[in-house]
Amino acid sequence: MRIGRLIERIAGLVPVLLGVSVIVFLMITLTPGDPVEIMLGDSRSSPEQEAALRRDMGLDRPMVERFFLFLGNAVRGEFGLSFFHRRPVIDVIGERLPATIELTLVALVLSLVIAIPLGVLAAVKKNTWFDRIGTVGSLLGVSMPGFWFGILLILLFSVKLGWLPVAGRIGFSAEVPFVTGMLLIDTLLAGRLDSFVEAARHILLPALTLALPMAAILMRVTRSSMLEVLRADYVLFAEAKGLSRARVIGRHALKNALIPTVTVAALETGSLLGGNMIVETVFGWPGLGRLVVEAIFSRNYPIVQAAVLLYAVTYVLLNFIADLLYTALNPRIKL
Amino acid sequence: MGRVGKSGLLAMMLAATVALPATGAELRVGFSQDAQTLDPANHRNRETETIIRNMCDGILTRDAKMKVVPEIAESYTQVDAKTWDFKIRSGLKTHSGAPFTAADVAFSINRLTRDNAMGGQTSPRKSLLGPVTSAEVVDGSTVRLTMSAPWAILPAMLPFQEMVSEAHVKKVGDAAVATSVDCVGPYKLVEWRRGDAIIMARDPNYYGGAADIPPVGPAKPDRVIFKIIPENASRVAALLAGEVDIINELPASALKQVEASDKAKVMAVNGTRTFFLALNMAKKPFDDVRVRKALNHAIDRKLIIDRILAGRATALNGVMSPDAFAFNDALPEYKHDAVLAKKLLAEAGHPNGIELTIDTTGAFKQTAEAIAALMARAGIRAKVQVWEGAVLSPMWANAEKRAERDVYLISWGNGALDPSDIMVPTLRTKGRGNFAGYSNAKVDALLDAAETEVDQMKRAAMYKEAQAIVNADAPWVFLWLPQDLYGVSKRLKGWQPSADSRINLHDASVD
Repeated sequence: MRIGRLIERIAGLVPVLLGVSVIVFLMITLTPGDPVEIMLGDSRSSPEQEAALRRDMGLDRPMVERFFLFLGNAVRGEFGLSFFHRRPVIDVIGERLPATIELTLVALVLSLVIAIPLGVLAAVKKNTWFDRIGTVGSLLGVSMPGFWFGILLILLFSVKLGWLPVAGRIGFSAEVPFVTGMLLIDTLLAGRLDSFVEAARHILLPALTLALPMAAILMRVTRSSMLEVLRADYVLFAEAKGLSRARVIGRHALKNALIPTVTVAALETGSLLGGNMIVETVFGWPGLGRLVVEAIFSRNYPIVQAAVLLYAVTYVLLNFIADLLYTALNPRIKL
Repeated sequence: MGRVGKSGLLAMMLAATVALPATGAELRVGFSQDAQTLDPANHRNRETETIIRNMCDGILTRDAKMKVVPEIAESYTQVDAKTWDFKIRSGLKTHSGAPFTAADVAFSINRLTRDNAMGGQTSPRKSLLGPVTSAEVVDGSTVRLTMSAPWAILPAMLPFQEMVSEAHVKKVGDAAVATSVDCVGPYKLVEWRRGDAIIMARDPNYYGGAADIPPVGPAKPDRVIFKIIPENASRVAALLAGEVDIINELPASALKQVEASDKAKVMAVNGTRTFFLALNMAKKPFDDVRVRKALNHAIDRKLIIDRILAGRATALNGVMSPDAFAFNDALPEYKHDAVLAKKLLAEAGHPNGIELTIDTTGAFKQTAEAIAALMARAGIRAKVQVWEGAVLSPMWANAEKRAERDVYLISWGNGALDPSDIMVPTLRTKGRGNFAGYSNAKVDALLDAAETEVDQMKRAAMYKEAQAIVNADAPWVFLWLPQDLYGVSKRLKGWQPSADSRINLHDASVD
């Protein structure tokens, strides 16, 4: 890929982020609800207290001034103090981000591991009972609410069988030195296999809950693109050459069939970040999604603004990665 | 990883359960919300206070019956209407082993009550200490609190404030107090895993806690952990799986499930939230007391308590909890009587009944619908409209914005269990939570006089009279006071739920 094209893509980020900033600022500020009122709730208060809180939160300034202040700070990577945590937004989000990234990556891997073999099999065994079960299964996977499925998993694996923990990331006695913040990696870096296993057991149910709907979509995509590829001339030619069916599928068909799967997977990873909100709440997973939901309900403007910007950047980057993977898998396509 | 490695790992994952039951030395609470900060002066959040309370004691505290008793203070006396003296214990040590004296107490109070005292910021808890203007050490061990006006409920409000070490705050800086703790309290902070858990360990330096709340001495468990599980169903599952020993906010829908378990049971205590239907008195027909009384008679509170709240609430005829100071137990009851309700409506000029909309939040939709159904029997055609809480309360708090609204199903908390804490905001003219727009000069005068009355007998009499007037004026449909429900492990000993929704773990232990 040409460097010029890369710079062009990155420059394209600027208007996107500016647009997102304007929209998120306006949406959250114009939504009814007052963080000061929410903070005070029904406990004893006074007009002076309200005024002091408004001043300390910066809400006593006019909206336009607040917007440009937000924009100016955001450019420098500053998002101010969280209204309720009274700590820098960057810190509060930074503490939660690794947990969300870890959960998303594990869910992504799980969904690929489930979807690709099943999708290929469903295509190869088209119109058999396996294909039909796969179709029904994927429909179920897409339609099942993550919230409900998560609770079912907890009831079965945690309450009934007692195999896996209900909530959290790792046991309370584990001490893992912070490197990436992703416990599966940090435990391995520290050479703590027992802690790694513990972390893996904690992440299994939430990752599975998050992975299932994505696996269902990816399986459908893999199946249909595989079917298309299997009808292509070069596959027929490969078979005519006398290559085994497994070799034809594994070596020749799969690589091409995976192109749409990879694209969809990269884009779906963006929506995994959104899906996290529900799954993180159900499994008490201390990630960004839960933080954002709480921030929206409490009108914690600085957290919501920063998090939505982060989501936007991630989404744009994932799109970009999808394009890069596309060119890698299919050299005929140029960015 | 090879085949053996993989299967070995799988075996490890499925073998010994990670859902290890909490050991005798460790007590775990499945808690609905993480602390917002660990700085006792920089939040307005009950859950945050509950967590901090296990690490930082206050000048005063409350026993299980909600009586105010000295904690860090040895004793306290009222010097005059605007001055109180608190004698602080000697020999106190913080978690780090540093001495803790009356000077630290004065510093903590001043940090709460003085403008810009926290690195330029004013404590959001300032108004919880009303007219307190300053704290000073008058002799080596006595702290004097001075107020700008007499304020009878100071002792009832002090248990909400935890004390910090001056040296610690000055050493780490105000901002860093959000994540570091050095107080006098039964447990010290081990690790705060944000959003996940707060791990604390017993502090061997601890003086033992309030003399009036036995047993006095160091805490029993080696460690306590607040494990954050926001989702109700998951919190219940964690209790049933034996992962936690106490869960808060047990939903009424899970009562049977917990009761049926051989590992857990339900514990309950009268809460401090009064539920009511605020009637928009500025709007017809709610300006007519006969209509308001008709609405009170139209509702069968007992039926709703039994069917929807699983019997876990106390019906109220007024605003106060039966456990609160100055509760008037002689208020007349609005008996459920649909015929009487219809008659009252007809007298008020509504022989064909009235139409109204009940505003509420998602959490109380079911209750509002039950109320609407009961109203229908008395010829009142009620609809339910569900809103987001953050939108609804500010709308109802504003007289102009609520002008077109009818009825609001809402609750108001009274953690201090004192009428001043709930009647002033909800019933005094233009109070913050006076959603009904109620205004009665006599009630205002009684509330104002009681606020500064030092004689507690006289104060109680004033509040009782005000409750009687409110009962007769019926600005609300009086509903109920729900119990706070907890699920606890059957192994748990020495713990009682408390009406102020704190979870104090000093005396608790597990087998």
